[in-house]
Amino acid sequence: MELIENIQNGERAAIAKAITLVESSKDSDQQISRQLISELIKKPGKSIRIGFSGPPGVGKSTFIESFGSYLVTQNYKLGILAIDPSSQITGGSILGDKTRMVEISKNPNTFIRSTPSRGALGGISMGTREASIILDAAGYDFIFIETVGVGQSEIVASNLVDIFTLIVGPGSGDELQGIKKGITEYADIFIVNKNDGELKIEASKTAADYKSALSYYKKLDELEKQVLLVSAIEQTGMEEVIKTINQIVDQNKLKGIFEERRANQLEYWIEEEVKNIIASDITKRLSSTGNISKYSEKVMKNEMSMFEAVEKITKDTLK
Amino acid sequence: MNNKSNNGFNTWQKSFEKETKKNFSDANSETDEGIEIKPVYTRDDLENFSFVENNSLPGQWPFTRGPKASMYTNRPWTIRQYAGFSTAEESNEFYKKNLESGQKGLSVAFDLPTHRGYDSDDDLVMGDVGKAGVAIDTVEDMKILFNNIPLDQMSVSMTMNGAVLPVLASFIVAGEEQGVDRSLLSGTIQNDILKEFMVRNTYIYPPEPSMKIVADIIEFTSKEMPKFNSISISGYHMQEAGADNVLELAYTLADGMEYVRAALSKDLDVDDFAPRLSFFFAIGTDFFMEIAKLRAARTLWAKIMKDFGAKNERSLILRTHCQTSGVSLTEKDPYNNIIRTSYEALSAILGGTQSLHTNSFDEAIALPTDESARIARNTQLILQNETGVTKTVDPLAGSYFVENLTEELSKKAWDIITEIEELGGMTKAVKAGIPKLKIEESATKKQAKVDSGSRVVVGVNKYKNPKEPSVDVRVIDNNRVRDDQIKKIQAIKESRDTIAVEKALANLTDAAKDETNLLAPCIEAIKLRATVGEVSKALEQVYGRHFAKSLSVSGVYGKHFEGDKDFMKVEKKVIDFENANGRRPRVLVVKIGQDGHDRGAKIVATSFADMGFDVDMGPLFQSPKDVAKDAIENDVHAIGVSTLAAGHKTLVPELMKALSNIDPKSKIIVFVGGIIPEQDYEFLYKNNVSAIFGPGSNIIECAEKVIDLISDNLSKE
Repeated sequence: MELIENIQNGERAAIAKAITLVESSKDSDQQISRQLISELIKKPGKSIRIGFSGPPGVGKSTFIESFGSYLVTQNYKLGILAIDPSSQITGGSILGDKTRMVEISKNPNTFIRSTPSRGALGGISMGTREASIILDAAGYDFIFIETVGVGQSEIVASNLVDIFTLIVGPGSGDELQGIKKGITEYADIFIVNKNDGELKIEASKTAADYKSALSYYKKLDELEKQVLLVSAIEQTGMEEVIKTINQIVDQNKLKGIFEERRANQLEYWIEEEVKNIIASDITKRLSSTGNISKYSEKVMKNEMSMFEAVEKITKDTLK
Repeated sequence: MNNKSNNGFNTWQKSFEKETKKNFSDANSETDEGIEIKPVYTRDDLENFSFVENNSLPGQWPFTRGPKASMYTNRPWTIRQYAGFSTAEESNEFYKKNLESGQKGLSVAFDLPTHRGYDSDDDLVMGDVGKAGVAIDTVEDMKILFNNIPLDQMSVSMTMNGAVLPVLASFIVAGEEQGVDRSLLSGTIQNDILKEFMVRNTYIYPPEPSMKIVADIIEFTSKEMPKFNSISISGYHMQEAGADNVLELAYTLADGMEYVRAALSKDLDVDDFAPRLSFFFAIGTDFFMEIAKLRAARTLWAKIMKDFGAKNERSLILRTHCQTSGVSLTEKDPYNNIIRTSYEALSAILGGTQSLHTNSFDEAIALPTDESARIARNTQLILQNETGVTKTVDPLAGSYFVENLTEELSKKAWDIITEIEELGGMTKAVKAGIPKLKIEESATKKQAKVDSGSRVVVGVNKYKNPKEPSVDVRVIDNNRVRDDQIKKIQAIKESRDTIAVEKALANLTDAAKDETNLLAPCIEAIKLRATVGEVSKALEQVYGRHFAKSLSVSGVYGKHFEGDKDFMKVEKKVIDFENANGRRPRVLVVKIGQDGHDRGAKIVATSFADMGFDVDMGPLFQSPKDVAKDAIENDVHAIGVSTLAAGHKTLVPELMKALSNIDPKSKIIVFVGGIIPEQDYEFLYKNNVSAIFGPGSNIIECAEKVIDLISDNLSKE
């Protein structure tokens, strides 16, 4: 495929078109997309994929602008995949991440793609994993995946990346109790942003709270969870972030954790794909038989119980 | 109400219901501000006022009826037309002509690069030099601008906020080199940075240092320039950006309070500077509302300043300049704009403005020509000389309706002001983006009312002119202006004492690091022929450049169209498109160059998203190259360029070039919206622009056209 060659040559338009293909809901696009990904995956690049998540308002995009600017001055090539929520009502979306990434979006060593979430579970859109494979093939050193930071997104996102970071604001230490155990398990780095001006003391305190709370979660063979203080606005603490990332990557590679994670992620991916195919097949069958409306009528008329109906429909559909 | 009048009212109500075949209780209408307007007002409506005082007189507390006792009976308002374009030489000629034709004061429009602190030779600004105002790079330009205009006699208003320090410094030095001491200079500098962060976007530095600069200027002028207004606190641009009158009134006064506090932090006494604070409001087409707004503004400001402890009566008085509304002008059937402007001017006069700019009818299309500027000026001359409006002070006082409306507006605005104060003042509110968002919401609502036809705009959504007249417009050769300016900068840089300039700039940078007043070191640098751009950069080293976060509203536009046939038609087209192409139509909406007026772009973005499009928003102040990279990486189907500052003839071809540089096979279509003279349409189409939408375009129709163009374009593949 000519497209593959162009991607590997780092041609911007080719990368962009390929991402459109993997995100497309059209069958014919999906077929090409599968071929494309199968080819690209054979010759993996050297990218490190980093996930960024965190509640709204903590300055995720501003942090990415700041950290990204630092990385490009170090001559790294940086790909960013940002997921924006689509409106539940109209289905349309406003993709405004780039308004907060003014400097890096101009830089020739970046590639920034926003994607509407399309209501996908977990705020990770269809095609994010594939898009990261494309950017990897195109020779980007780091690939950032920024999620909308709500619901289950952390868990889904962490299954796409090598390092997962959670960005939090000063004063969020109190909410630590409320943070799901899952996230503390999945996140490798906690970044406390807004370590500047009046908030400095609060930020340090928050970082200390996180550190002490996280010490309980330490697993034997893993590095201690890292808590870092940064100011996206003043661009401080960025060196420490990249140093920590590189450290974790090196350690994980040494201990085989890096490969193990990628293997687990592949497993997860296969499982997801299989589930998706089965689910869409079942949806089609359900709508063709019209069983659901047929049986719910019976339930309404008290001709059978709701659970009997479920059992009957399931048996009928799976036979 | 006594029994007799009660009976009278009941009879009236019956007649009303009979005539209108409507229940009286359903007869009210609601304004954009959410104020209920009754079909009739009576003496009862003058009761229970908390702001308006029924028996007050002009020139007396609470100044509702005007700042002066005699008002226009003694001296009419100042006719002050805002103008400026291309080079200082050409603007100077234009000013002199206007002064000969009866204009009394000057008001200088600067070009966008000057506003944003860039010299004309900076690559970032190539499309904007001399376009929407005059280019000023050094004090030499300023001297040419006022050539043969004696600055000790002429009051000069300067719309400058971002690069306020080098521009005011240049004005002071130009005066000195004309032989006029700074203490004799009269006029106004806008110096209102807060509204830049809200709507106009021609800021340079972040909010805090910007506020410090505002305070520096108030301090300096209060000490050394007693005849000069240190600030013009402006609501104008808020209304232009779509704010309703309550928002405009409340945010402007809240801005004013913030500036008072900034000046107080300089250890000035409130009466030292308050008499030199001035205001600037927009006057739109809602005739009585605009009159009430000016009356309410004076009433509230007097109260606010009293609370600040002002002792001098002049500190309590709100003096204002007004300008007729630019957004009310339409590109369609443009001669209607003369009529709109006339009524707006009358509103401003009945409201008691101190000076007035009337827009030229062609300003929805381009900068005014000599002819259209004459008509605009004559609109005011006729009001002053033929209509008799100058003979009675505040002639609408005592009107049940106008007094009641003044009270209602005051109340609503006061609630918002109280809210802002509780948040900690306007700087904080602006940093949080609250006013900007509220204004955008109001703008989107207004647009939806016009597009859905629930608000009539003559010649646009009703009574359309079957034979659109063509009008001649002023054409500015941007490349020539830029070349001229670059030559002048080069000549100055060769002849000046470079070492002294560098030293002065280094001093300025040092001064910015502590609390020193920055105007004095600026004047030093400007005297030595440092450029506006160099001075701005010297400060940028300490303060940095500000980039705004962009928030947007959604759902506001769509809400007005529930069940609307045209709207649903576009929604369906979007779904069909997604089924056929595997994704929604995706459009990048951008501003290019230094033009920060982003109301139009924001409205297009939110309304397209409400119709189901995926809309990418670009940051402000992007170069064509940045836009192309953004568009290609996101593989958008189309780019919508919003242009209001006449840069399109340079910037759009640059964008096309940049697109094909990155991707020679690029299939991205480009459409353009904003202020574009018809004469330029052919040029843009020749440069492969697919569609052009002028002011007053119906957004649903635009969306449909865009989706059709995209579909056609895809089917060609």
